[in-house]
Amino acid sequence: MTAVIAAASLSKWYGNVLGLNDVTLEIEDGITGLLGPNGAGKSTFMKLITGQMKPNIGTVTVRGRKVWNNPELFQGIGFCPEQDVFYEDVTGWEFLTGLLRFYGYAGTEIRDRAARALDIVGLTADKDRLIRGYSRGMRQRIKFAQAVAHDPSILILDEPLSGLDPLGKRKLIRLIKGFRDQGRTVLVSSHVLPEIEALTSRIVLIHQGKILAQGDIPYVRELIEAHPHQISVRSSDPRALAARFVGDPSIQKMTFGPDGRTLVVETHKRDEFFGRLTGVVLEAGIEVDEISSPDDNLQSVFEYLVGK
Amino acid sequence: MTAAQAARQVFGFFGFLGRRTGKTRVFAILGLIPVVLAVVVRVFLHGRAGLMADVSTEILMVFFLQFYIVILALFYGTSITAEEVENRTLSYLLTRPIPKPAIILGKFAAYTALMFAMVGLSLALSYFIINAGRLGDPAVYGALLRYLGVLGLGILAYTAFFAFLGTILKRAIIIGLVFGFGWENVIQYFPGSTQRFSIVHYLKSLLPYHPANVGGGRGVALLLFRLEPTKPVVAVIMLAVITAGLLALACWFFRIKEYLYEE
Repeated sequence: MTAVIAAASLSKWYGNVLGLNDVTLEIEDGITGLLGPNGAGKSTFMKLITGQMKPNIGTVTVRGRKVWNNPELFQGIGFCPEQDVFYEDVTGWEFLTGLLRFYGYAGTEIRDRAARALDIVGLTADKDRLIRGYSRGMRQRIKFAQAVAHDPSILILDEPLSGLDPLGKRKLIRLIKGFRDQGRTVLVSSHVLPEIEALTSRIVLIHQGKILAQGDIPYVRELIEAHPHQISVRSSDPRALAARFVGDPSIQKMTFGPDGRTLVVETHKRDEFFGRLTGVVLEAGIEVDEISSPDDNLQSVFEYLVGK
Repeated sequence: MTAAQAARQVFGFFGFLGRRTGKTRVFAILGLIPVVLAVVVRVFLHGRAGLMADVSTEILMVFFLQFYIVILALFYGTSITAEEVENRTLSYLLTRPIPKPAIILGKFAAYTALMFAMVGLSLALSYFIINAGRLGDPAVYGALLRYLGVLGLGILAYTAFFAFLGTILKRAIIIGLVFGFGWENVIQYFPGSTQRFSIVHYLKSLLPYHPANVGGGRGVALLLFRLEPTKPVVAVIMLAVITAGLLALACWFFRIKEYLYEE
């Protein structure tokens, strides 16, 4: 399959800070999730592939054409920026129709497209309100609307789900999937694994400006499984709790927290541990205040991969 | 879409946005100062037209030429690029199928039109109030057109200069203030060719000058004092060259430079 977006040995730095380091990547039709913690280089990569920044080293092309200073390319690209920024003194309708002018459409077509985009994101009723009066979720939706209003074949979405409530997220996820079903290319970034999981199984892991891994969700899950989970249990008697787990083969390591009330357990079999924990706590009559999994997130997977 | 069509669309969008901003409201209110001043002068001069009306008009022109159009051009000119970077809205423009120079040219045209509307309205109102006693004289209208022309050229040249500054510098407004109210105010009084390194020198060279009339008002004569005015044709050419040259440079820099948002 031919790559829609291709980056070759792409590097970008800001003064002494490395934003992106020797990234070679091909993005094909369908949805690709760009996953990484804050500051990983996701936005830098997105700005490079949308021609907002120029690479220091390497090349980036969209459908085989260079991006930097190639405005014609944007007739077919929709971009939703991460920042919550707008021309605040306009209404949602004015914002959309204003930006649609830049595609050379006639007045009627501008109005039709703006109305359709507003309908897609469910903002028709609020189209005449000033954007500065929109809620965070509405702002996120109008930002998405401006990215899709011109019907692009490539959609680049930088953290599009942030700030949305669960219902809003579900709606937007359905919309994005709808674009994929129409045969379009979607690149979506996020620092939240479940968000990406809900959208696609094709993931690119990025950290500290480097591509750590790319593949499907099961592959990433494997990486997580290979990394021992830390589970922290704060209770009335952590030592009694530890004594009950000493012989448990699923436990790799146990330590006590500095507060003297926390037991920190490392295990590869998290579900098994939780299964046993309930029984042990009830049996021994230990009062549990809090159970948390401090490394049960993407950051820890990345840290694990980086340290590997 | 051609660059000219794109610039026209940018003009339309930012002309509309420009009218909506709080900045425009503030500057429009500032434009009422000469109108109020004119009313005061008119009441004071009631029944005495002629000499004092000329003097008052010259005072008005000092306000317009050395303050109002400079401050307007400074804020609108630097904002052509700077507001997009500071507000992080540049992403919306750079990801549209429009050439980058069209953004500069379209915004420049929109903002200069907006400034000219504010300046023109303010000048026309204050001028007619001051000269209310001689509105039957065709020369009054000729002079107004000339003043409007000079201010129009001033808006274009200053805005081009500040647009250029805004395109290449992060804190353009500070440098712009130093230029607009420091350099421009001082250098125009330097004899010889040094004064020609200011925009205001060429603008003043285009103004009607009545030294005989101003004999009794030395302060006014000093305000609009000019040492060796450049010939009007040369002044117009110079202002056109300054405007076109700086705009071209602004477009070029905007095309090759990348703008990073501050974290």
